[in-house]
Amino acid sequence: MDFALSEDHLMLRQSARTFLEKEISLARVLVPGTTVEDASYDANWRKIVDMGWPGLVIDEVEGGSGLSCIDLAMILGEMGRSLAPSPFLGTLFGTWAIQKGGSPSQKKNLLSGIASGSIKMALAIAEASGAVDGPCREATARRQGEGWSLTGAKSFVIDAAAADWLVVAAQDEQTGRRAFFLVETRQPGVSIDLLPWRDVTRQVADVRLRNAVGERLEGEDAVLWPWLRDRVVFALATESAAGAQRVMEMTVDYAKERTAFGRPIGGYQAIKHSLADMLGQIECCNVATLYAAWALSQNDDRAPVAAAMAKAYTSDAYMAVTQRSIQIFGAIGFTWEMVNHLYFKRARANAELFGNARTQRARVIDLVERKAA
Amino acid sequence: MDFELPGEDHPARKPIRAWFDANPHPSGLSLAQAGFVVPHWPRPWGLAADAELQLIIDQEMKRAGVHVPRNPVAINNCAQSLLTHGTEAQREQLLWPALSGEHIWCMLFSEPSGGSDLGALRTVARRDGDHYVVKGHKIWTSLAHKAKVGVLVARTDPDQPKHKGLSEFLVDMDMPGIRIRPIIDMSAHENEYNEVFLDEVRIPADRLLGKEGEGWALCTTQLQTERVALSRPGAIWGHGPSARELIEGLAEVGALEDGAMRDEAAQVYIEGEILRLLAYRSLSDRMNAKAPGPEGAIYKMLAAPHGQRVVDLAKRSQGARGMIAGEKPFPSQLAGDDPYDDWDHAFWFSQAVTLGVGTQEVLKNVVAERMLGLPRDIDPTARLPWSEARRKQSGG
Repeated sequence: MDFALSEDHLMLRQSARTFLEKEISLARVLVPGTTVEDASYDANWRKIVDMGWPGLVIDEVEGGSGLSCIDLAMILGEMGRSLAPSPFLGTLFGTWAIQKGGSPSQKKNLLSGIASGSIKMALAIAEASGAVDGPCREATARRQGEGWSLTGAKSFVIDAAAADWLVVAAQDEQTGRRAFFLVETRQPGVSIDLLPWRDVTRQVADVRLRNAVGERLEGEDAVLWPWLRDRVVFALATESAAGAQRVMEMTVDYAKERTAFGRPIGGYQAIKHSLADMLGQIECCNVATLYAAWALSQNDDRAPVAAAMAKAYTSDAYMAVTQRSIQIFGAIGFTWEMVNHLYFKRARANAELFGNARTQRARVIDLVERKAA
Repeated sequence: MDFELPGEDHPARKPIRAWFDANPHPSGLSLAQAGFVVPHWPRPWGLAADAELQLIIDQEMKRAGVHVPRNPVAINNCAQSLLTHGTEAQREQLLWPALSGEHIWCMLFSEPSGGSDLGALRTVARRDGDHYVVKGHKIWTSLAHKAKVGVLVARTDPDQPKHKGLSEFLVDMDMPGIRIRPIIDMSAHENEYNEVFLDEVRIPADRLLGKEGEGWALCTTQLQTERVALSRPGAIWGHGPSARELIEGLAEVGALEDGAMRDEAAQVYIEGEILRLLAYRSLSDRMNAKAPGPEGAIYKMLAAPHGQRVVDLAKRSQGARGMIAGEKPFPSQLAGDDPYDDWDHAFWFSQAVTLGVGTQEVLKNVVAERMLGLPRDIDPTARLPWSEARRKQSGG
């Protein structure tokens, strides 16, 4: 039993932080009217590729670094802390889907390309309602010779417009069940529309499919999706925990500097207590996400509950922390040129995507009840 | 990093389990002499146990259905000061009866004029030959009516600033001049708290703990009730039911079928699980030889309102029946012999958990100042000689 991070983990986190602080600037996003296309999205990706991060979770034999979820958490957290705009997350989600669901040849064809940075991925699973769990009504797949033909729509696809390949959830017309398909984006049957997404540090798009050519991932929905979902929500929770910590740090610094009525505002209890509450929430975020990382890295039975708890807690906490941060900064915190709103928007987006806090809580209590029964 | 708790096959577990098999109904003294009451202390009182062994002992004790003697002030807060600051004679005379539960201890700290501002206390101890003569009025003293020993903090030098002129004493509670009046709190249960009046109480000078003027440092250390919180997830200061029992109870009475209740219950459950993880993380920090820091304050800041939410939800699940005295929310859950195991009592008592040992507001100040480095609250009386501050105050 040792709940503390090892020296190696701390070093990994520090090196990621040093890299991101040096290489990633949000300056271009802090110009009013900006969109994700202005956010150095592609340039950041090239730097991230040079760091070898596209292959973090890919096995060494396929050219990756074979990291565990605990290792990964160190880097994911720093990505969340820096808000670095790039197709990192979409590629990671697509990679996981192939790792769990791909056939040996699908893995062989894609994973080494992803690890080297030449292939970018995205995971297209949500419906227009945002639902990711239910049956797939808006996209269907029909067998066509050796391959499949996909028609319909997918919503809220992170990094779709940058992706070379999509992993698409669609209903198999014959069985009525949901399955996952690899779809190359550069083909006539695929069109991708960027959404005017408020979180301008992230690229999110809708995808339309019209007789798009796809190949089926071997893994069945019932096996692939729970495994993938636990990782996806863990990733979002980890980003949120670290983003919240960054927001608290900058808000504390501000409260020490900014004076009003002859004292730093951080000396007034109304502000102090709000910041103490933030610290409490962040301690909880951190331990919840590390527990999820550990449980996933061990393939432990507790991983599904741990991941859902982390997503539930961090969703609410990140929103609360970023909201309080704007209030403590005062009117300046409400302007586009400050970073406060970027975190506020990321917090809201992370909370809504892949099941909001309430959805996660429902899963937690279902799982707890089932275990008790 | 490894979140696994010590397993069934942990080598340290065997001898502990064997001891409880051989001693199924141990006396307080035999538990104390085996080192199980304060395992983290050095021998002969403890086993110099690391955090993992402490956790194993807690688990094995629970498994055997055995409790440490109910003497929280001595065991969790104050007796440890005797190890570092007490005289040989004090240790000899007081420690074994404290650990065995033969002498119940109480803390004579808070006063009517200010609870959280402990440093403003007015009880005076005046040196008179080989005695100190104490005059004052203490309040919110748990267990005073049962205690044999009181840990008293009193002002020995009124000309020093408020935190500097304080000293601690180990007082026999049956001495002449001590009068105890019970306080009936809103739970109307058998009284937990008391007022204690000290009228010209003559304490032998060899009952001074540490040196004169060290009282503030001693009592702030004693107020860090960390170990209690660490191994216990209960709603009332670590005692009583936890969020896990809440879910079991709500499921039993069908309350989880209501969507709003179900969501709230899940929220409380998640908080409870996260607090368990935080507690274990402090344990492993101890194992990694990190000094205990102010994170105990964060833990209490989170755990106290969480405990209130646990018992509040149980109470709300009862509807109007919850107003009937003694009505149990979850009929099949058996109460243990701890009074807080009773859900109904725990709820009516729970307002105290964000008041005791410093209010929630003072605790948030501690967290903000010590952990985030925010400016300290302004206390115009902090640097003045206490006698002068008092004069100014009473002068209006």
